[in-house]
Amino acid sequence: MKEILLGNSAIALGAVLAGVKVVSGYPGTPSTEVLESVAEFNTDGSIDVEWSTNEKAALEIAAGASYCGARSMVTMKQVGLNVASDPLMSLAMIGIKGGMVVVVADDPGPISSQTEQDTRHFGKYANLPVLDPSSAQEAFEMTKYAFELSEQIHLPVIIRPTTKVCHSSGTIEYDDEKYEYEIEGFIKDPKWVIFPPLSYRRHLEIEEQQKEISKMFDSIPYNRIEGKGKYGIASGGATYPIVKDIIEKFDLDIALLKVGAVFPAPMQLHNRFLDSVEKVLVLEELDPVIEEQLYYALAVNNIQKPILGKMNGFVSPAGELKYENTLKIIEKFVDIELIKDEDISTPELPARPPVLCAGCPHRASFYAVKKAMKGKKSVFCGDIGCYTLGNGKPLEMTDTCLCMGAGITIAQGIKKVEPDTNAFAFIGDSTFFASGMTGLANAIYNNTNINVIILDNYTTAMTGQQPHPGTGKTMMGTMSEKIDIASVAKALNAKFVEKVNPFDFEKAIKVVSDAAEYDGVSVVVFEAPCIALFKGDAPCKIENCIGCNRCIKELGCPALYISGRKVEIDKTLCNGCGLCINVCPTNCISKGD
Amino acid sequence: MDILISGVGGQGTILASKILAYSAVVEGNNARTGETIGMSQRGGCVVSHVRTGSVNSPYNPVGGADLLLSFELCEGARNIKYINKNGIAVINTTKIMPVTTSLGTSEYDEEQIKKFITDNARAVFVDANSLAHEAGSVKAVNTVLIGVAYGIGILDVSKESIIQSMEKNIKQRFIDLNMRAFEAGVRYGSEVQVKC
Ligand SMILES: Cc1ncc(C[n+]2csc(CCOP(=O)(O)OP(=O)(O)O)c2C)c(N)n1
Repeated sequence: MKEILLGNSAIALGAVLAGVKVVSGYPGTPSTEVLESVAEFNTDGSIDVEWSTNEKAALEIAAGASYCGARSMVTMKQVGLNVASDPLMSLAMIGIKGGMVVVVADDPGPISSQTEQDTRHFGKYANLPVLDPSSAQEAFEMTKYAFELSEQIHLPVIIRPTTKVCHSSGTIEYDDEKYEYEIEGFIKDPKWVIFPPLSYRRHLEIEEQQKEISKMFDSIPYNRIEGKGKYGIASGGATYPIVKDIIEKFDLDIALLKVGAVFPAPMQLHNRFLDSVEKVLVLEELDPVIEEQLYYALAVNNIQKPILGKMNGFVSPAGELKYENTLKIIEKFVDIELIKDEDISTPELPARPPVLCAGCPHRASFYAVKKAMKGKKSVFCGDIGCYTLGNGKPLEMTDTCLCMGAGITIAQGIKKVEPDTNAFAFIGDSTFFASGMTGLANAIYNNTNINVIILDNYTTAMTGQQPHPGTGKTMMGTMSEKIDIASVAKALNAKFVEKVNPFDFEKAIKVVSDAAEYDGVSVVVFEAPCIALFKGDAPCKIENCIGCNRCIKELGCPALYISGRKVEIDKTLCNGCGLCINVCPTNCISKGD
Repeated sequence: MDILISGVGGQGTILASKILAYSAVVEGNNARTGETIGMSQRGGCVVSHVRTGSVNSPYNPVGGADLLLSFELCEGARNIKYINKNGIAVINTTKIMPVTTSLGTSEYDEEQIKKFITDNARAVFVDANSLAHEAGSVKAVNTVLIGVAYGIGILDVSKESIIQSMEKNIKQRFIDLNMRAFEAGVRYGSEVQVKC
């Protein structure tokens, strides 16, 4: 079979062919399509696939399945592993039975993430192998290998693709025979119960095992030296194909060390590479992981040789390595001018940052709170989701944003120090289930008088409409009883709990004002579907506009634009939400028909 | 063959990249694509890379692409630097005004943008939204633009392969609409004067 597949789908296909039985995860760019593709390939329903409530839950589910001898996989983005690090660290001590693969996608740039953290460190921290694919094809092969390796060493194996591998596609040739095996089931044994003496024993074993795995990694095909030269470049991940394109295009005599199985470090291979060259350039995105390994190899062998990279400032410590900056660095390294700079001087073009969609219910919710709190001392703690875009002009309704679930708890900290401030926390429905409930329980139990605004758009919008416990749908295509967010808040003893549609303009403002007045934790659930979930109404109409631009200045809706001296509505974008009708001082805007 | 597709999040650039890449696979070639998936899809700038043949990286270098297919005028200008000396830019003249222009923090100067494009590339301008609308829906902009590129003769795949790829990548109920859009693009492309 020959197929063109996204890197993430290639990982999914590799897992399906390796006989994975349970796949769990929590969405997050750039990892999301791995689990979605497994669900797509799961036509006979033989794989249990779920979006779990968060990464910690997901990882533990995959671990439990593996304890029974089933092959399992868990998927998340890099910051997700922070949430799941508690089970991961302990699991590395306990070990597993059925092959278990932990897919953690990193995001150099960062392009769609809070941090530029490097998951390869987690492998080292937890003593777990890390595979770092450089293309969709390699991601496919590595995934199948990761299950075998995991079973062989009785440890979970981390696959760490980066955005440029996750979201690029390649032509994959495969034979669609699935690996078949018997699942033994859970066998009771003290080895599954973590206790200090057990961890001590296991720690000694695991450290020994690292040396074995390092030896295996010296000679697997994902780690290799290509070409010859006095100069050497060490690279891996998505940077490797870029370096290879440059070496081939300019016909450079360079020894290229390609590291795909990056932890535990393939020390013999590193030594061979270092022996063969006079100086080394390390090109890797995020942290200098391969680079540190090479320094270590030199130190152990008591050799001195120049290594250029992030640690001596030759390569920038942050941001992506693209073709252009990689070429510049290689030019400097080989000290030959490879290409003449020909700068086209682009005129100033309009900035186009991402924005809340036309008709997005979050815009209406933010606007209602802004109206209700006008002139009152307030702070607006945001959270992670599409609604983080509420920080932009003209809404400017996000004063803080840290990590998932932090809005509710940061608001409590601020309220403790500034009791005269109306401390608001905005949180999305998926984020509420992922990590908002504990923060809400905390505010109520510890009597911190904050106002919690839950933005329930019936989906996990930012990452592409995944189901969560409030949606009534599951990834297996079945229906479940929805967990009602307002009922959860009441069960946690919240006394002020109101649901309101944010497009019910006057009522929405009134409810927020009441919530702010209420003495105690208040919870307002704004309910209206994400525009991606329904067709929308006919676009609004605008007639006799006087050109005051108030609608634009207040709302910043992308469907509203200025043409000459008047505001026009872009019919291809407007979905008729009608929020702007409430803002126009001369009633020029009306619902379409 | 190296192609860069540019546009605004939500315009359907990823489908265009899939159709082009798979039409090369139909002809027995290898294809790679690089997509923009994530935050930028909320009305931000997006690009898709399509590369066929014997390259390693799916991402086009600046000055490397044979074809720029832009779904929006100013996004075309933003990415002109990606095409090579002999490259061609097929540019949809539709403007999508970013919120920053409405708020007055940046300016959209249509004439200046068009001049910059023609000064720096062999460009074909097309009102692809209108052609798509005539074919049945503005959503078919992607197949109109692929049609124009085919019509001017820059694509190295056959019409049959593109059609086969469209049939694989587009939902059955939208096929007729997209065939009409594609043909309208082909007609437009074969009538313009650009030598390949
Ligand atoms: C720990 C962690 N996991 C996952 C993500 C990726 N992520 C960003 S936004 C988001 C979901 C937001 O959904 P919701 O709260 O419903 O808000 P919406 O986007 O629908 O407005 C996720 C999962 C993250 N940033 N951090």
